[in-house]
Amino acid sequence: MFVGKSMTTKVVTIDKNADIFEAHKKMTEHNIRHLPVVEEDNFLIGIVTDRDIRSALPYDLFKSDDYAKEQEKISELKVKDVMTKDPFTISPSNTIGDALLLVQGKRVGAFPVVDEKGKLKGILSVRDLIRTFINVLGIGEPGTLICLLVEEEVGQLKKIVDAITEEKISFGSVLVARYWEEGKRAVFPYLLTQNVVYIKRKLKDMGYTLVDPMEWYLDQLPKNE
Amino acid sequence: MKKTGFLFDTRYMLHETGPYHPEVPERLQAIYKGVNEADLLPKLTLIKGNRADLKWVEAVHDRAYIDRLGDACLSGKKLFDHPDNQMCNETYETALLAVGGILDAIDLVMKGEINNAFCAVRPPGHHAEKAEAMGFCYFNNVAIAARYLQMRWKIKNVGIIDFDVHHGNGTQHIFEQDPTVFYYSIHEHPSFAYPGSGREFEYGSGPGYGFTKNSPVLPGQGDSECKSLIKKSLLVDFEKFKPEVILVSVGFDGHVDDEMSGIKLSTEWYSWIMKKILEMAESYSKGRFISVLEGGYSLERLPELARDHVNVLLNG
Repeated sequence: MFVGKSMTTKVVTIDKNADIFEAHKKMTEHNIRHLPVVEEDNFLIGIVTDRDIRSALPYDLFKSDDYAKEQEKISELKVKDVMTKDPFTISPSNTIGDALLLVQGKRVGAFPVVDEKGKLKGILSVRDLIRTFINVLGIGEPGTLICLLVEEEVGQLKKIVDAITEEKISFGSVLVARYWEEGKRAVFPYLLTQNVVYIKRKLKDMGYTLVDPMEWYLDQLPKNE
Repeated sequence: MKKTGFLFDTRYMLHETGPYHPEVPERLQAIYKGVNEADLLPKLTLIKGNRADLKWVEAVHDRAYIDRLGDACLSGKKLFDHPDNQMCNETYETALLAVGGILDAIDLVMKGEINNAFCAVRPPGHHAEKAEAMGFCYFNNVAIAARYLQMRWKIKNVGIIDFDVHHGNGTQHIFEQDPTVFYYSIHEHPSFAYPGSGREFEYGSGPGYGFTKNSPVLPGQGDSECKSLIKKSLLVDFEKFKPEVILVSVGFDGHVDDEMSGIKLSTEWYSWIMKKILEMAESYSKGRFISVLEGGYSLERLPELARDHVNVLLNG
């Protein structure tokens, strides 16, 4: 679960002296929104986002009568004029957990990943994090989701995992939701099988509550006063 | 009254799935019981199982996969590709008998000897991929039927309707790039139910984009939600596509009393949808459709569901 394993290593970069149209073109071509700005030897000096570029363009540029002249003037704007200098970076040995908390705290869409000397090694975007989590959730593989409501006490997960393992069912993932009901946790085993009838019965017989997703769904509907 | 075929063969019960498995031979007994006790058998054209020519199976599945399944059965393996697919020595032959019976039903429909048919076969098919068994399925019966219609009977546009409570991943994948086969599926939402595909934003790909349509249904929902999805999606899409023949993947596992899903459909809903399909077949397909059994595991409910299904095929 290290950044180095989840990051994109083939990074599209740009020179600080490139004009902003070139930066925009690169983003469109590669369908990306962040370009690390590097100097010789791949040293990171900044990052430019599609938002930086949009903010630099006058909103009526394309409607302007004097489009060519406007464009010429704007093309004098260089990447170095609009980029974020010394952006927040992470290292390949940071964890995915670090990255998740940082995305939440810093409110950015991507982090350049640099080594201890400041050389660019990759980029980790929200998209990379999502890919990592789809992998961890196991939802790329066929299976069935079960939701159990359990008392918040030590050893519950072991009992559940053992009961399922005894039935020779493989796990795609097991998620635990912390905030569900007072004193309870919701456990979501994602089981790589279609055959869940018997395991559901077994878990019920063990005293667990199987949550009907519809109850949650109904709670979200507008209530008639 | 329509001329309706009924494909049934006791040999379809030879495929054994072992203990703790819902896809059991008794399902077919329950279906037969429902049809028989309502005195419908004399009104039906009975069709028997028939070993399919491998060339038709190969129209969908890789030869290496077909041989691998045959070898696994011969060598006495009890599992194939995944623990869901429990099997016995007879599984391969039973699966071939199922395919061949369905192709015979198609011949009768295409020759005009019957209008439509219900194929009560095992094992089911709609999860089977080109080269992988999945979710109790080995050969994709409906997919092979669609290719047979195109190759043997020169049908251009085949419409497949799948109302098993699980998404027919195999059927979708086999045809997702193909604009000549429209695949429509209504099923329990993939975030809750097997196999985890069939999301509403899956529309097919390449030249087949727009010829796949999925209507996921949330657990707890039932007749009214499913009716409105059918009206909004299937009826509109088939009006445009105008299939020359309709194939139906029939699964009764969305029934409120079926433990395999969280969907709460009534027995009446299953007649309602078959009437809609019959109307579409009358409008676009000269009344030609063939329904093929997929899931449905409530042995208590299967008799009435099968009886009503056949009644709609006979009487509209």
